[in-house]
Amino acid sequence: MAGSGSSFEAQQLVELLSVVSSSQDEETATQAAIERAAQALEAETSALVVAGRAVRSVGFPAGSNDHDLLATVGLGRHVRLDISGIGSCAAAAAALGDRDESRLVIARRGADFSVEEHNLIRGMARVLGLTLQMLRTLDAERRRQRHMEQLYRIQRAISRRVPLSDVLGMIVDGVRDVLGAEDDFVGLWLIDPMEPGLLTLAASVGSSAAQERWPRRLPIADAGAMGRVVQTDEVVHHGAQAPGAALARLMPNDTGCLAVPVHENGQVAGGLLISRREDQPSPKADQEKMLSFAEHVSLALTDARTLSDMNEAMHDSLTGLASRALFLDRLSNELAHMDRGDTALALLFIDLDRFKQVNDTFGHNAGDVLLVGVAERIQAAIRACDVAARFGGDEFAVMLRGAVSVENTRDVSARIIASLHQPFPVPGGTADIDASIGIALVEGERVEAEQLLHRADVAMYQAKRTGRGRSVLFCADPISELRMTGA
Amino acid sequence: MSGEASAVLGEPGRRWMGVGRSDAEDSRTAAIEAVRQAMRGDDVKVLLVFASVTHDAKSLLEGISEAAPGVAVIGCSTHGEIGPGGPRDGTVVVTAIGGSGFSVETAASDGLNGRQREAGAEVAQCAAGVARPYRVLMMLTDGLARDQETVLRGAYGVVGATVPLFGGAAGDGWRMTGTFQLHGQDVLTNGVVAVCIGSDAPMGVGIGHGWRPTGEPMIVTLSGEGRVYQLDDQPALDVYLCRLGAPPEVYHDQMALSRYVLNRPLGVQRRSGVEVRNMSTEVDVDGRSIGGGGELVQGGLTWAMEGDEDSVLDAVETACRDAFAPLQGRPPIGMVTLSCAACRAVLGDEGIVHEGERLAQQADGVPFAGFYTYGEIARSRGIDGFHNQSLVVLALG
Repeated sequence: MAGSGSSFEAQQLVELLSVVSSSQDEETATQAAIERAAQALEAETSALVVAGRAVRSVGFPAGSNDHDLLATVGLGRHVRLDISGIGSCAAAAAALGDRDESRLVIARRGADFSVEEHNLIRGMARVLGLTLQMLRTLDAERRRQRHMEQLYRIQRAISRRVPLSDVLGMIVDGVRDVLGAEDDFVGLWLIDPMEPGLLTLAASVGSSAAQERWPRRLPIADAGAMGRVVQTDEVVHHGAQAPGAALARLMPNDTGCLAVPVHENGQVAGGLLISRREDQPSPKADQEKMLSFAEHVSLALTDARTLSDMNEAMHDSLTGLASRALFLDRLSNELAHMDRGDTALALLFIDLDRFKQVNDTFGHNAGDVLLVGVAERIQAAIRACDVAARFGGDEFAVMLRGAVSVENTRDVSARIIASLHQPFPVPGGTADIDASIGIALVEGERVEAEQLLHRADVAMYQAKRTGRGRSVLFCADPISELRMTGA
Repeated sequence: MSGEASAVLGEPGRRWMGVGRSDAEDSRTAAIEAVRQAMRGDDVKVLLVFASVTHDAKSLLEGISEAAPGVAVIGCSTHGEIGPGGPRDGTVVVTAIGGSGFSVETAASDGLNGRQREAGAEVAQCAAGVARPYRVLMMLTDGLARDQETVLRGAYGVVGATVPLFGGAAGDGWRMTGTFQLHGQDVLTNGVVAVCIGSDAPMGVGIGHGWRPTGEPMIVTLSGEGRVYQLDDQPALDVYLCRLGAPPEVYHDQMALSRYVLNRPLGVQRRSGVEVRNMSTEVDVDGRSIGGGGELVQGGLTWAMEGDEDSVLDAVETACRDAFAPLQGRPPIGMVTLSCAACRAVLGDEGIVHEGERLAQQADGVPFAGFYTYGEIARSRGIDGFHNQSLVVLALG
């Protein structure tokens, strides 16, 4: 025969435990528990009440606030409620045993709950409380692991020199993944280097509505929490009452925000902000996680700045071509890795003819425009694997890599000379120049970069002496064996 | 004339229900005949259509549209139709509900598998459009879809405890190849259709079954997705048959097994009694698992159940008594009666005639109609409402 009395209640508790413990998250566990509790007691309604509010219920029409009535039920079983559409109900509540003083509340049409039934409700509430506690612990562990994974991904991207904008995008994605929900907004604002009173949105993630709501540029003075972060270099964390009018306007539906400063070379460079709809249980832990992401923003910004500075030092600031130092470094490296017997490298030393007249006639600005144009035409005449450099003034150099021959070196030189012979539009008129090129080939010998450069330099002067717009190939005895090639 | 009909007026001009039936082979003709017989009053609000799966669903809707243009329709295929003249196969039974005392809204949701809760919630939205003192939500689901309880949970989440739930799962004459549901001009094959009936008078929902637990309970040690894999830590099918004392030939012969277990459902204990779970329709002889009815929670207890023709027929009185209770002593104007296809197998051809007679006796002259289902829906208290091997009755006051 089917069991009865207390054995029935014990069995219902086992079944609730089975259903609830198989849940993967708090929401599913809570829904399963309140449904199972109502089912076990043949009750029409049940609810989970947290902090005096029915956060989840069953048995009330969608959109109705009638479940708030269950939030009024105190611990115990001798309560009667008159619920609209159901009638006079017995109600009972039991504590989950958590810090929020959450309660499982059941209401059933008809007779009061027996002692055994109330004991069952108490047991069910405790099972739900323990399950939720376990799920929260698991969730925290999962988030901690995700946090570590996200930081590792970001570090790897920085070390691999992934473009800065992509790294910053990964960071805001990481913040939302670890600290937020799908609808939450995460934004990174940086101080505009051209207008230090303005913040510019460098990266963001969130719903399209949130993205539209948050401005891409805003004055620091009007930026609420973000403005305070930048001005004070301190963390700002608050609930719905935003300290700045502008921030309150920006986040009317969000519960609160957490904003932390980001730095570049030790100076405040902006702020990282998360705006959330849900209350967060552990703001201290969240703040530490936010700071870890902010530190990675700082790392990425500083690294990008360092890279930029290095590039600047190694490149000609006017034309963007390699500097003399970088060129010689590359050349040395190339020569060091050449196998003996290869004829695999050619060096062109290019000197412009009549550049001084252009400067004198049209001014230095026109001269700069001309140099930029020359750099573009030289690069257009060589391959992507070759290296072009500006040595300063009107001197340029090109390293042709790979298995080059005398013939194709001459072809490249001829292309460059022909290209530079074409008029250049410059401010104030048109500039006509020529180029003289000295060529040095490495032919199966050990040679140092400076030595090779000297040879090309000698050949270039020979070219100038024999007439402008020409190239000369360096030979071992430059006095007797120079061969001249007309452009 | 192949049709039969009965109709009774409720309070004159206020509420009425009529039933028509046709055994015409042509689907369109059958629908027209049944609808015309059922429409015995003015201001028809909704037609409930229960048809043999052998009928062409589209042709049925064409016939209904011709006979009652513009009238709301829901319906489904069956495992036999209950109506005037007793239970039959191959017919169309139409129930017409009308009068100014009623108002209705209908809804449908297709693609039930995998979204049971959402589908239940979607159709239940129609209740919001019905403003009457008394309401009931009637749902007809694809009987081959699993996890029917969740459809009800979805509906319950929308209407709450204030609206009783009623209905059944469409059958297909044990072919197990496909059912259909009807809504307006649409034919669904894996859906749920619903009508919310609002009335100025009370309506009641009742349920009864004729099964009782036998022997010691078994622990469900491994289950999921509507199947039971282990009972008492052993293969479920073997433990189940052993507990029943089944003959050896049943253990590995699919046909013999199906026949044997059909009238031996399982039961789960509830506060006010034992709920029946039909685990015979999806028995896996090779995997030694059982399934087909409602959920059996892992960790729960279950009992083998027994019953006979007398106990099953006694359920008619139980279900009708519960359904009539809210009418406060006044006779109903009509009833919708849905009985389980598995019970039909237990009762046999003669037994279902007796069931029809018992229903007619309870109806006491008012029209009633229904069908044999693959699962019954009745919720008037608590949050559960899906049943197996039961009879459910909706009494319109």
